[in-house]
Amino acid sequence: MTVAPPKHLGELFTGFLWIGARSFGGVLPWAYRTMVEERHWLTHADFTETIGLCQFLPGPNIGNASIVLGKRWFGLSGAIVAFLGLMALPFIWVLALFIVFNDFSSNPTVNAVVTGVGAAGAGLFVGTGVKLGKVLARKPVALTLIATCFLLTAVARVSLLYVIPVGFLVALYAARKDWL
Amino acid sequence: MILLELALYFGLLSLISVGGMPSVMPELQRMVVDVKGWLTAGEFLQAFAVGQAAPGPNILIASLIGWKVAGIPGALVALAAICGPAAVIAWWVSELWERFKESPWRRAIQKAIAPVVVALILSSGFIIATPGATPDWRLWLIAGASAAAMLAANVNPLLMLAGGGILGALLL
Repeated sequence: MTVAPPKHLGELFTGFLWIGARSFGGVLPWAYRTMVEERHWLTHADFTETIGLCQFLPGPNIGNASIVLGKRWFGLSGAIVAFLGLMALPFIWVLALFIVFNDFSSNPTVNAVVTGVGAAGAGLFVGTGVKLGKVLARKPVALTLIATCFLLTAVARVSLLYVIPVGFLVALYAARKDWL
Repeated sequence: MILLELALYFGLLSLISVGGMPSVMPELQRMVVDVKGWLTAGEFLQAFAVGQAAPGPNILIASLIGWKVAGIPGALVALAAICGPAAVIAWWVSELWERFKESPWRRAIQKAIAPVVVALILSSGFIIATPGATPDWRLWLIAGASAAAMLAANVNPLLMLAGGGILGALLL
């Protein structure tokens, strides 16, 4: 299987447009499918490495990936084109859906369904947190950090502008001490 | 000027959104609902639901809040602001990160981010499922069921959202 990056900006744009257009239930699987399996823009290992970096950067993972890959292939114009391609259709769809919903939000059934969907979405976050946290479960320092940050943000409602920098510095100290 | 306020606030949020949107959801909710009163907690939950059910990055909830506050310009400004600063960082860091592949600091940073991000994601789930001052057991039940289903079986998340909608229609 030969791997070749997109040949021109138009191809880059339609590729990311296609990712955004079908990304129901999460963008990542569709990004993989489009770029690695269908268009062969990059290898599996390359994709994993890029996403791994983007997960440690602030911002939406896949949005960052569009910047990093667009830059790698076409420089600044590539980064902009890839990002716009990715966001264009989801932006229109989510807004349209929300505007339609707002018209029906006085309907109690519609309200109940959407609230239920939201609660299920919240559950997916909890599930994701548990999944990611499993590898840390045997490390008491990590668990203490998780519990403290959780209580501060979820229960005491302290701003993340304080919790993230302080929590991260404490965690960095612990990591350097090999506690994590 | 509300657009400027949106731009500044979402821009700031962008800088701390390590791990993506789930991490900053507690801050977003605190600011939008508790401090500014732009949306009620219930409306916030519904904006989140629409953002989850529609295709695309879940960062798009920012544009829904922007739309509620200031219409289409608000939606565009909020989305640009939540993505912009992070995009600039991604642009600069991608090469640096590659260069420090073997550095012990890089490994320490990766390890240090993990517990913080896990806590913030759990916190997001908790806050979204608890929109009122007192917990609603029905919302907790739906959230718990979808979390359990996700952990027990690797099903498409859209199925869980659909299930949540059905349970919502029956219970709420």
